[in-house]
Amino acid sequence: MKLTINGKEVEAREGTSVLDAALDAGIFIPHLCSHPDLPVSGGCSLCMVEVDGERKPVHACQTIVREGMVVSSEAPAADKARRLAMELILATHPADCTGCPRFGVCELQSMYTYMGVSPARWRCKSRPVPTDASNPLVTHMFTRCIRCGRCVRACRDLRGVGILDYQRTKDGIRIGVNGGVSLEEAGCRFCGACVEVCPTGSIVDALTITHPERSREDNAVPCRTGCPARIDIPRYLHHIKLGEWEKATAVVREKVPFPEVLGSICTHDCQGECKRNELHGALSICRLKRAAAVRDTGAWKSRVRHEPLTGKRVAVVGAGPAGLTAALYLAEKGHRVTLFDAEERLGGQMRYGIPAYRLPDEVLDGEIATIFEVTQGSDPEPRIETRLGHRVLDPGALLADGHDAVLVTVGTFDGTVLPMAGNDLDGVVRNTDFLKAARKGEAVDVSGRVVVLGGGNVAYDCARTALRMGAASVDVACLEAVDKMTSTAEEREEAAEEGVALHDAYAFISINESEPGSGRVGSLTIHKIRRFYFDEDHKAVTELMDGGEETLPADHVIFAVGQRPEDTAGMGLELTHGAYVAVDGSHRTSAEGVFAAGDDVTGTRSVIAAIAGGRGAASAIDTYLGGDGDISEVLLEPEPREARIGRAERAFYDGTTLPELMSAEERKGSFVPYECPFSPDEATHEAARCLQCDLRLDITRPRLWNEY
Amino acid sequence: MAQQLETDVVVVAAGLSGLAAANAAAEGGARVIALEKASNTGGAANMGMGPCAAGSPVQKAAMIEVTPGELFRRHMFYTHYQVDPRLVRAYYFKSGSTIEWLQEMGVVFNSVRPAFRARERTRAYADGEYTWHVVQPEDGSEPGPRAASTMVKRMTEHAVELGVEFLYETPGTSLITDESGAVVGVRATNKAGEEVEISAKSVIVATGGFGANAAMIQEKIGLEWGKNLYSFAVPGMDGDGFNMCHEVGGGHTPVTMEMMYQLPDNMNHFYVEGAFRQPCYWCDRSGERFMPEDDIFNTTFVGNAINHLPGKVAFSIFDAKMLRHWKKDGPDIVSHVHPHDLYEGFEAQFEVDLDTYLDGEGNHVVAKADTLEELAEKIGIDPEGLVSNVEEYNQMCAGGFDTLFEKDHEFLQPLEDGPFYACRQYMGAYGTLGGVLINSRMEVMTDEGTVIDGLYCVGTDACTIYGDSYNYAIPGNTMGFCLNSGRIAGEEASAKAFESASGADDWDDGDWD
Repeated sequence: MKLTINGKEVEAREGTSVLDAALDAGIFIPHLCSHPDLPVSGGCSLCMVEVDGERKPVHACQTIVREGMVVSSEAPAADKARRLAMELILATHPADCTGCPRFGVCELQSMYTYMGVSPARWRCKSRPVPTDASNPLVTHMFTRCIRCGRCVRACRDLRGVGILDYQRTKDGIRIGVNGGVSLEEAGCRFCGACVEVCPTGSIVDALTITHPERSREDNAVPCRTGCPARIDIPRYLHHIKLGEWEKATAVVREKVPFPEVLGSICTHDCQGECKRNELHGALSICRLKRAAAVRDTGAWKSRVRHEPLTGKRVAVVGAGPAGLTAALYLAEKGHRVTLFDAEERLGGQMRYGIPAYRLPDEVLDGEIATIFEVTQGSDPEPRIETRLGHRVLDPGALLADGHDAVLVTVGTFDGTVLPMAGNDLDGVVRNTDFLKAARKGEAVDVSGRVVVLGGGNVAYDCARTALRMGAASVDVACLEAVDKMTSTAEEREEAAEEGVALHDAYAFISINESEPGSGRVGSLTIHKIRRFYFDEDHKAVTELMDGGEETLPADHVIFAVGQRPEDTAGMGLELTHGAYVAVDGSHRTSAEGVFAAGDDVTGTRSVIAAIAGGRGAASAIDTYLGGDGDISEVLLEPEPREARIGRAERAFYDGTTLPELMSAEERKGSFVPYECPFSPDEATHEAARCLQCDLRLDITRPRLWNEY
Repeated sequence: MAQQLETDVVVVAAGLSGLAAANAAAEGGARVIALEKASNTGGAANMGMGPCAAGSPVQKAAMIEVTPGELFRRHMFYTHYQVDPRLVRAYYFKSGSTIEWLQEMGVVFNSVRPAFRARERTRAYADGEYTWHVVQPEDGSEPGPRAASTMVKRMTEHAVELGVEFLYETPGTSLITDESGAVVGVRATNKAGEEVEISAKSVIVATGGFGANAAMIQEKIGLEWGKNLYSFAVPGMDGDGFNMCHEVGGGHTPVTMEMMYQLPDNMNHFYVEGAFRQPCYWCDRSGERFMPEDDIFNTTFVGNAINHLPGKVAFSIFDAKMLRHWKKDGPDIVSHVHPHDLYEGFEAQFEVDLDTYLDGEGNHVVAKADTLEELAEKIGIDPEGLVSNVEEYNQMCAGGFDTLFEKDHEFLQPLEDGPFYACRQYMGAYGTLGGVLINSRMEVMTDEGTVIDGLYCVGTDACTIYGDSYNYAIPGNTMGFCLNSGRIAGEEASAKAFESASGADDWDDGDWD
């Protein structure tokens, strides 16, 4: 039907409100309590309009359009009513906005800017209400509340939770939790819908979870932000909650080709970001990924990208997580790939750096085979060829040898040996050599007493591997105090259960001969540190404790204090920080056509970071070869989700579900994986703890006047 | 792959200086993209009331003779020539016409005012000039805080009419330079968190300082936000402009904050804050008075004074008799910022705050006691020192003359009638000022004084004209500098866009100004 608003003829569907008809037609009428996703309330009275034939101005949000209606939001009577309404709102709102976290994104601020109403005409009566920061994740600052009721409607009508409402207090009506209890006691889902719709700074995300440098979306869904590959975590957790394992795995596979590997060994930065760290423990995101991956049926395979062959060929040097990932996406984009590796088998650090009790060969082999399978598709021959046992020293030469681009992903296989007395004695071994030998099944003598130097996860991999290979005792010594160690707490706890002793905050003094002239390790001297820090020049400074010297008996010493790229020095590429390959934002090295990614660029990080690097490099190389650089995939059509999530059951507030482990006694003698994947019940229960932080991003954001 | 855009001029942040720059550049014919971190334009200017100017049509119509030259001299005397005279001159001599420029956009000015009149004895040093051009709210009412948001709206609308493209929730992150070091574009992050690269002939940085970045405040200014400083922290003022200019070799200037005084989380304790801002008894933590309390209304003086007290904290104390007087007669010092019903709302809030109001170090902010000793114990003043100093002060009150500071007689009221009320007073500030070295054309220079081609910096990122203290004697200065520096940079950048388009010679450094 047709009606006239502010002299302009507009079309509107029957049943539409005058406000929506105007906004849809690009005519801005001020409003605050109205929200596109919420039922109409009419409380703020900012949307007053004059309708021909009516004596008094009416609420545009509550007035339904009629054929031939003539509406004016600019008529003096409407304007006057609107200004009065705004003055009343501002009379109780703090006059000074400078301390408010919503400054600049506040809808009330935008509205008074638009209306140019001065608060000074009204006698201001600010009503301070103490800030309530007692709840996790959500802070109530009701001094700023204008009682528009959006939060009440969002909680009740949008989410079906219904714990917020107008409350009568001795200081007047204000918003509060029914019954005056905590949000948790009331059954809050902590979904953030109330925060999302609040037009002022009255209900805000707690400062502890807000990073001003992040975008709104990144702040709202921190787990996804924390993931280097930006896997859509809340989306796949939702499928796990419903027991939809293959759908969950398809979501994971949209970003990474190694769901089960990651579900077993990922450093899971996502869990550090999870908002439930503030509410009875983070989601067990990593293990949930494994729970889904082990039950996957591969239905997603039919949907992978398989572009026609381009006639281009890319050499990938190093078949670890970065190289394999890049090979996958390059092949999907239609490029042939030659995958080189110095070792006899594919996988890089996933195979030769991570012990089998954490990641068995079968799991890795299965996921690698899938890469070859899906990239070949229905082609007569594989798109990825391998050259194993082939160490590439001059990647530039591959360009002359029939390749259009080269990607260097050689990782960091050169274990560091510290410059200290005795570091060349018999019985001293490097982390990289030790783990690789163990994984290849080579005979390694660790009989007797083993001391591992280093405090990261690799040090613990060495320690626990040594134990499993028959060491009589294993000690770990490191420079950092226990709270500064980079290994995960669970890694340290499990190792301690297996009998690994920790000596934290020690300087390494010397490795000593068993007896003079023996040439063999006999002991290790360490010295307790009082303080360890980096000075203003970023130099490490250690202050030793008086009388803190100790000598540990040792038959073997394993250095696990870092590792660097091998071979990069001779590759003719510009390097940085010693042996690392210098690249620009598009993974380009100093040599035309040669790209690099993964640990050899970033330093030793994690499988997931290497995968993210491999993705970036594949996109950059595709662009370089004339493609569009788009490697994104939709392996599962996004499905609409229930937005009415209802009030939380008590089980929603349970702590983190932990996977079952073999007993320490059982596991320390074996390389069999000791951690069981979640049972279906465990997995669905744990996934149901997810706050679904991404749901709030579905809430429509009202357009401000400056966007009309 | 980053999204790629191309334009003549990019303005980084659309606060007041950015809006001025965008309008001026677009009026000059340049294609302009304005980046903005927030979803609203105007930034901190949405809180203000109006800018400073000299020789404006508004002043002339009101028969107020304030010439740019006169203000230039007053400003330079105030700052003892510690600031760039060419920059100060460029600003004041532009300011009158800027008011006219704004009027043409549809901004209406209610009046031109001084910030306050000083008392007789300090008039020569502290009196305000009639330079504050207070914006008229649209509804015809008396202007109050936020009045300037109407100016923001007009400037935004005008910019849109001129074709300026605003990219909201898209903060600039770094500058793009070519081999010669000239700035040729900006990188930004859009709403979706994706990178955008905009190449441009000029970039005007206008991000508003780093008042919300506690780490930078500590590093560059040496004060600890939330401990001895409770300054405004307008979200988004994170030092983006400061950092991006220095990353490409921009020169350095001292960074200051225009000190005042404020309570922690003051909006939730507004009655308490207003009630204690009176010329009662003010002392340091040893109990000694540190200034004549009739100057308490001058927030710059008090903020600076607290900065030099031990522990950077002061105490304001009154007794039951003074409270009765204010309840009956109203406050001695009236502030248009604090609630009008100050002493009606005071006691209810004070009673709650007694137990619950703590500062960032865990000290009670307010205290109440029947004796001065007890009060001193509770609030953290040396009890003996307070008692002996108050005794001395009370004798002066009885004698009718403040032999220490010659405080005005009408405020010389003794502290004798318990219970006694005390409140800690902390340094506050509006934000940060300066840090990026510019010349009088707002071009960024290296520390050696070489111009970085294609880069301008305006507004508070580059506002170095105050020296050490807010120039309350020439009110409206912060907005005034933002508007005029932005406008000058916008004009320069648009002129430059056409020079390079027409292949004309490089910028002639000759007889400009």
